[in-house]
Amino acid sequence: MSWFYPIMSTPFLSALLVPLLYKRFNSRIHTGWFILLVPLTIFCHLLSYVRMIAFRKTFNLTLPWIPSYGINLTVNIDGLSFIFGLIIAGMGFLVVLYSIYYMSRHKEALDNFYIYLLLFMGSMLGLVFVDNILVLYLFWELTSISSFLLIAFWFERQNSRAAAGKSLLITIFGGLSMLAGFLLLHIITDTYSIGAMMSQAEMIRSHSLFIPAMILILIGAFTKSAQFPFSIWLPAAMEAPTPVSAYLHSATMVKAGIYLVARFTIIFGGTSEWFWLVSGAGLITLLYGSISAVKQTDLKTLLAYSTISQLGLIMTLLGLGSAALYFDSIQEGAIYAIATFAAIFHMLNHSTFKGCLFMVVGIIDYELGTRDIKRLGGLFHLMPISFLLTLAGSLAMAGFPPFNGFLSKELFFAALLNAAQMPIFNMPYWGTILAFLAWFASVLTFVYCLTILLKTFMGRARGHKLKKKPREASMGMLISPFILAALVIGIFFYHQVFSQYLLIPAGEAVLPTLSGSMHIEVKAWHGFSTELLMTLGVIAAGILLYITMSQWLRIYNYYPMGLTLNSLYELFMEKLEGGSLAITKGFMTGSVRHYLLYILTFIILVMGAAMLLLKGISFDSSQDAVVSFYELALLLGMIATAVTVLLAGARLTAVIAVGALGFLVVFFFVLFRAPDLALTQLVVETVTTVLFLLCFYHLPQLRKESIPIGSKAVNAVVSVGVGMIMAVVALSANGLRSFAPISSYYENAYVLAGAKNIVNAILVDFRGFDTMLEILVLTLAGLGVYTLIKLRWAGGKEDEAA
Amino acid sequence: MNNLIIGPIIIPIIIGLVLVVCRNSLGLHRFLSLLATVLIGLAAVLLLEQIRTGGMQILNLGGWEAPLGITLVADMFAVLLVLVTALIAFCCLWYACSSIGMGRERHYFYPLCLFLIAGVNGSFLTGDIFNLFVCFEVMLVASYVLISLGGTKIQLRESIKYVLINMISSFLFLVALAYLYAITGTLNLAHLSIRVAQSGQGGLMTVVALLFLTVFSLKAALFLFYWLPGSYSAPPTAIAAIFAALLTKVGVYAIVRLFSLVFYHDLGATHLFIGALAAASMVLGAMGAVAYDDIKKIITYNVVISIGFILAGFASFSLVGMRGMVYYLLHDMIVKALLFLSGGTVIHLTGTAKIREVSGLIRLHPQLGWMFFIAALSVSGIPPLSGFIGKVFITTGVFQSAYYWLGGIGLFTSLMVLYSVMKIFMNVFWGHTNLTEETEKGTTQGLLPPIVVLTALTIALGLGAEGIHEYVDLAVEGLLNPNLYTDAVLAQNGK
Repeated sequence: MSWFYPIMSTPFLSALLVPLLYKRFNSRIHTGWFILLVPLTIFCHLLSYVRMIAFRKTFNLTLPWIPSYGINLTVNIDGLSFIFGLIIAGMGFLVVLYSIYYMSRHKEALDNFYIYLLLFMGSMLGLVFVDNILVLYLFWELTSISSFLLIAFWFERQNSRAAAGKSLLITIFGGLSMLAGFLLLHIITDTYSIGAMMSQAEMIRSHSLFIPAMILILIGAFTKSAQFPFSIWLPAAMEAPTPVSAYLHSATMVKAGIYLVARFTIIFGGTSEWFWLVSGAGLITLLYGSISAVKQTDLKTLLAYSTISQLGLIMTLLGLGSAALYFDSIQEGAIYAIATFAAIFHMLNHSTFKGCLFMVVGIIDYELGTRDIKRLGGLFHLMPISFLLTLAGSLAMAGFPPFNGFLSKELFFAALLNAAQMPIFNMPYWGTILAFLAWFASVLTFVYCLTILLKTFMGRARGHKLKKKPREASMGMLISPFILAALVIGIFFYHQVFSQYLLIPAGEAVLPTLSGSMHIEVKAWHGFSTELLMTLGVIAAGILLYITMSQWLRIYNYYPMGLTLNSLYELFMEKLEGGSLAITKGFMTGSVRHYLLYILTFIILVMGAAMLLLKGISFDSSQDAVVSFYELALLLGMIATAVTVLLAGARLTAVIAVGALGFLVVFFFVLFRAPDLALTQLVVETVTTVLFLLCFYHLPQLRKESIPIGSKAVNAVVSVGVGMIMAVVALSANGLRSFAPISSYYENAYVLAGAKNIVNAILVDFRGFDTMLEILVLTLAGLGVYTLIKLRWAGGKEDEAA
Repeated sequence: MNNLIIGPIIIPIIIGLVLVVCRNSLGLHRFLSLLATVLIGLAAVLLLEQIRTGGMQILNLGGWEAPLGITLVADMFAVLLVLVTALIAFCCLWYACSSIGMGRERHYFYPLCLFLIAGVNGSFLTGDIFNLFVCFEVMLVASYVLISLGGTKIQLRESIKYVLINMISSFLFLVALAYLYAITGTLNLAHLSIRVAQSGQGGLMTVVALLFLTVFSLKAALFLFYWLPGSYSAPPTAIAAIFAALLTKVGVYAIVRLFSLVFYHDLGATHLFIGALAAASMVLGAMGAVAYDDIKKIITYNVVISIGFILAGFASFSLVGMRGMVYYLLHDMIVKALLFLSGGTVIHLTGTAKIREVSGLIRLHPQLGWMFFIAALSVSGIPPLSGFIGKVFITTGVFQSAYYWLGGIGLFTSLMVLYSVMKIFMNVFWGHTNLTEETEKGTTQGLLPPIVVLTALTIALGLGAEGIHEYVDLAVEGLLNPNLYTDAVLAQNGK
């Protein structure tokens, strides 16, 4: 147990070592050989838990990360995380082994490749074992990032980059949505631990945030597991090297959404919303994937759509199985738990047969330089081992005995038939339709499985269309798919062992309330049951459709290209960028007048609305002194000079008016008995006016601007508005003198600071710091003027700086 | 009384003035200005420890007790910001040493930066609202000179707008101060807090508060941000990075300080409004960020987005949201400097900011490429980098306050952030290499070390969030309990 953390961190730690290994050994040894040890160690370590898992023991371990906020690397090892862990490590081993022969050490940047791959492996393992939702989110995003890097491994290709970008955008979008759902769950339960949330499932279900949290988390799961309509990133992701497609994009990462749904079934399951959202999305995806797969001609793309379809199938099963939680009686629940069991079973099977198929397609691509079935055919004689491997993989996927897919497909039909009998969630109305649709999708699955097998290996050889001469792959490359194919058959024959040690513990981890009651009969032969008849129907209809394929495939041409999910996505992105640009350019005009208008309008609207809504305006002039004749006269004079500035046609008039305004303020200081301020103001006004006049000499004539009458009107409205608001607030504030100002304290300046002049005492003593900083401001202004003149004239040449 | 508090303000001023006098020794300029930032950092670290053990630290300047003189207040929030300011200033000045060019160096670049930092630190540390205005002026006038330093055409064009808009906002600041003084008769923040609490935050007070909000929104680029993209694109990289990392944050700080200490009695009017402005900033900023194919434009619009996000956390005004706000603010200062420096280095190398004109740079500059990649992940709050914890807490806090729309916008714009910066990475660093070492316009010589430091910081702050949680929690405690602040400032009067 104490070895768990060190071993689980080996992917990250060895990722740090990869550059060294690559630099030192790449000329002699393929870096993959070193990397191979990592998944092997993890796999062996996990195997040591198998007995304990089979006895339904679960483990909790904690490693602190941010303990103060309850964010820790808490680990929960139960049946569900265990089977995922084994798949991740096991497939990891096979994929690395395969990659040693697939990825050339002379041509490819292997250091990058293995760093990304290890990063992914570590994150994916973390994702399934961790119990803390925030850490789960951390690993979730890391898998998205590593997938992004791996898809764009050949980053020189435009398609790779576009595919990487698309997958990043969609999966991170889902991740953020999931995060939002997690945070809602956290708000409901006040914990980050999934285990602790499970014990509060009742309370969560009655909370008003239950449905939003459920939908948000499901969006996360659906994006990652490529459910309709988020699936478009997966076919694009086939730009990645094939080992990556086999590992991330069929066996492991795309199952993260499945894992999430399974893990949260105990919290959300048993409600009709969860049941319908999960199984509905799954069923639509199942149909969409199989319908799209049938028409593909690129083998990898075909496999991608088939993965989408199979993920939909697993998702449907998880949805159906969640109904088990609705029932209080264990017996009743156990009937529907078959679906959950089937989901996990099929998930395992899918990893084996799809991994095998991807690797064979990789071999074909590697050996022949193409994966387009229009150019392939008749490879049966040339690549017999590949043919046998494809045979196992594709027939397993089609649900044919004696391959593992047959068993889980039968269970799928059984679960559908059970669900059709279900008395709840409107199933009496929908059950049969559901079963039919799923059956139909299975027929199409059968068709495309035949396509993979027959179009590639049977028929006429078309060597002349190929770039390379076809030959069987090297032994090393065949080992991994061979092991997978062996598993495909092995699981069929030894399914009891797998059930007992892996599948049932996992199923019970999904539905812990049914602990001990999952007695699931997996049989290759159970008489002429409805399930078997459905399978036979699939085979018959499938063969019929395959033979008549050229007749009906034309239907696809009627679907408008503009309405495919991909074109809708492209259109959305285009509109997003174009629309944003149009809006941004609309208000970012670069014109100072506009910018000032925004500020002032903002002030009018905000302060005006606040004044009206908050009723804060009241005028109280009882405290005010009487306005004397001189004050009134000065005021009128100031207004007159201010208006003169606005209307002045010549610059000289304007400057003189500004000066006059300043001098009138001087008189106010005189009236209010502040001779020192009056003197200061007098000096300042004189100096600025003189400076203005001096600069004049160098300035061009003021030209009469022709401003449209509309702009003038806007200017007038805005300036009058701002002026009024400022005046109203000023008068109102003046009336509301709630407290005695602190200024009375300074009247004692002589005693306090030994200064007979209060103003001076305030400036240089009480608030001397302000004055010091203001002097600094003046220094700065001086430096500014100096540099503006000097550096520009001295320069003249091109800007030298970065 | 703690004289150390004035250190972060007075050290850069003194060293800056010395440098103005010793104009011709550029070596001395570089050394002393870096030394100044180190000293500020040390002072901040010492203060952090003193505050942790002894509570908020006070300095009454000239010995005049609050509320009569000017009081400097070092609370945890302010000092954390001072510390990060010192770190960023250090990195940006270091970067400038190899990039800014002799012409600007000779024309007081370093002293100007130091004065700017003095203004920034002063704004963080002052406990007096008029002094805040003065510190703003120091910072702004320094920034006016820095933005036009060099006198290129684009600099002059943008600096006119920048200066004009900031003048207007300074003027509005003064008007708001006058209103506030008329009503409350005091300028000391703690005293203001008490007086506003006593009289109740009536309608008029809220109107005045909204005028302050307008002023600080202009500084912080909260909704009123249109001056920012142009003016932050004009100056050289080192200056733009300082601006992006520090200047807007001072506006954010002022909003946080004023609306947690003084105007916190009418949350429905003020804080909800801040939330609405934050949402608008995020949406408009995200639009700008995805609209352009220009590195400078993309990263300047990202500044606007993050301001919105930080203030969304503040608008929630909950414990968790504020905690997120503090974490995210610290993170954002670091990562914006990182983004501007690494993005600026790309422009320096290639001679263009257009992302369609460059490709495959990672073959020539893998370190730069991967650091930019980390920066890109970090700005979008991808775990385990520094933005993550802040993003989680801000979103939680906003959700707790039932502003679901605000949290949703925040999360969605973080996706747009990722898209916009990843667009740079995918176009500039990936693809066929279309440059050679010979055709490059510049070298990375001396430019990478500061970027490495900032990258390390964003990783460390993410993985080691636990390490600063005590400081962050104390900062939040101080913000949510105005009486801690007022007691610290005014209680000593009795002694």
